[in-house]
Amino acid sequence: MTRVLDVADVHKYFGGVRAVQGVSLKVQEGQVVGLIGPNGSGKTTLLNLIAGVEKPTKGAISWDGQRIDRWPAHRIVGQGIAKTHQIPKPFLTMTCRENVAVAMMFGNHAQRESSKALEEAAHMLALVGLGRKADVMSSKLTVQERKRLEFARVLGTGARIVLLDEIFAGLSPEELRDAMNLFERVQKEIGFGALVVEHVMRAVLTLSEHVIVIEEGMKIAEGSPRAVVEDPAVIEAYLGTEAVHAAP
Amino acid sequence: MRLRGIRSFGPTLWGIALFLVVLAGTAPWIPVFLLTVLIQLLIFSTLAYSLNLITGLTGYVSFGHVVFMAFGAYALAFAVGTFHLHPVAGVALGIGGVTLRFRGVYFAIATLVVAVAASYIVLEIKELGDGQGIILNIGFEPLSWFYTIWVILAIEVILTYWITHGRIGYGVRSIKSDEDAAKALGVNAARVKLFLYALSGLFAGGAGGVYAWTASGVFPQAFDLTFSLQMLAMIVIGGMGTLLGPLIGAVAVYIPSYIFLTVLIGFQFIIIGIVVTLIALFVPEGIVGSLRKYIPELRGILE
Repeated sequence: MTRVLDVADVHKYFGGVRAVQGVSLKVQEGQVVGLIGPNGSGKTTLLNLIAGVEKPTKGAISWDGQRIDRWPAHRIVGQGIAKTHQIPKPFLTMTCRENVAVAMMFGNHAQRESSKALEEAAHMLALVGLGRKADVMSSKLTVQERKRLEFARVLGTGARIVLLDEIFAGLSPEELRDAMNLFERVQKEIGFGALVVEHVMRAVLTLSEHVIVIEEGMKIAEGSPRAVVEDPAVIEAYLGTEAVHAAP
Repeated sequence: MRLRGIRSFGPTLWGIALFLVVLAGTAPWIPVFLLTVLIQLLIFSTLAYSLNLITGLTGYVSFGHVVFMAFGAYALAFAVGTFHLHPVAGVALGIGGVTLRFRGVYFAIATLVVAVAASYIVLEIKELGDGQGIILNIGFEPLSWFYTIWVILAIEVILTYWITHGRIGYGVRSIKSDEDAAKALGVNAARVKLFLYALSGLFAGGAGGVYAWTASGVFPQAFDLTFSLQMLAMIVIGGMGTLLGPLIGAVAVYIPSYIFLTVLIGFQFIIIGIVVTLIALFVPEGIVGSLRKYIPELRGILE
């Protein structure tokens, strides 16, 4: 049976700041869900809540019918939900191969033997197009390569739901096309579910089956990519009032 | 650990093993005066390796490691002959459980506070000599001392190797590199750190026990913070987190301070302080780390 990540009416307050105010969403294994919204709308906070980096003030998060919202981050990873960082955080003192091997050995514990994890890590790196960099120190990577490494590490944990925080940001049009092709290919091959937080509309609208729009910590729209971009409320909130007239 | 053929253990471990085996084989013929110096050196090596387990591997600087040494000494003195170390492991788990919640400089301060507090607490406990210490009458047996500390050190070196080469080693390195990223990949950072801290405390306790035995008793001076500083100096000079570093550091710190103790009394800490400052400023990787950094050929051999 397909497992479901279920976020139900989740709130997160930082002192007086209400970063997330009652968001609900579902991501099925194998399904790609886009999460968009203006800057500071609470997207990253929502990902942090799911990943266990922050604890929700109110509301429930469950995975496969089990409440996970009070679990420590590493335990959530162990159960198959892992997150990339908006600003990549590679282990700079390790090679790319070792970076991914850590994810494999500790993620869902599928591979505890270090020599085998190091071997398999190379395959994972090849999958994201970093095959040639396997034995290069991660500190030598460019920003874009670091994002791929971040993606490879999340896959290395064996995650069934990946939470991707702006992995398509800052790419040239060609790079974006390559990255999107890569994502689609890998997603089909592994069949993970994904919650994709993104500013790059093209990426979200092409890749996701379902899109959720949040503004000021509240969900203002959801539906198919087409339906969402045509929603006047979304256009106004996300692109500004003048964009309403320019929309397709 | 699975045995992958003993050759794969690497030259550094072989080198240390050879050094220890030669020491063990010749010990009965070493003059008593030299043997007692050697025993002190092994005690300090054990302490250096113990601090290396937590500070060297994870980067959490502990100023309070003398606590475990002193507890080990008191544990031995309090229950002569039985040599129970599990109270020390328990104490380490307790202290680690609290202090490891802090990071960086706050952890360092917390360990320092614990060390100072512990010495005052022990001074107040009647059963522990009421601040006067406990004098033991267990005779002069340098060979027994030697082989006891030898076994403790050998186990500690092997464990250090095992930890740095296996799965836990990668977890530890990831924590040292970026603790938040490590957690995000499933590393149970709290458990890994606590495991290392407890192990570290256990070996420091073992060294402290032998120290009390050689000193025929235990006195409140066992809590002297200079022990902590010497341990830190050893791993900083030798190379933090390396397999050979603590041993080299122990030789580099202990042998000169032994000479200073008898010749230039009181000067050793001034010299150690200056050396550690210079190393921290100019060669922060220590002796072993610097050799690995500047001579690429050594990377496969030296660790």
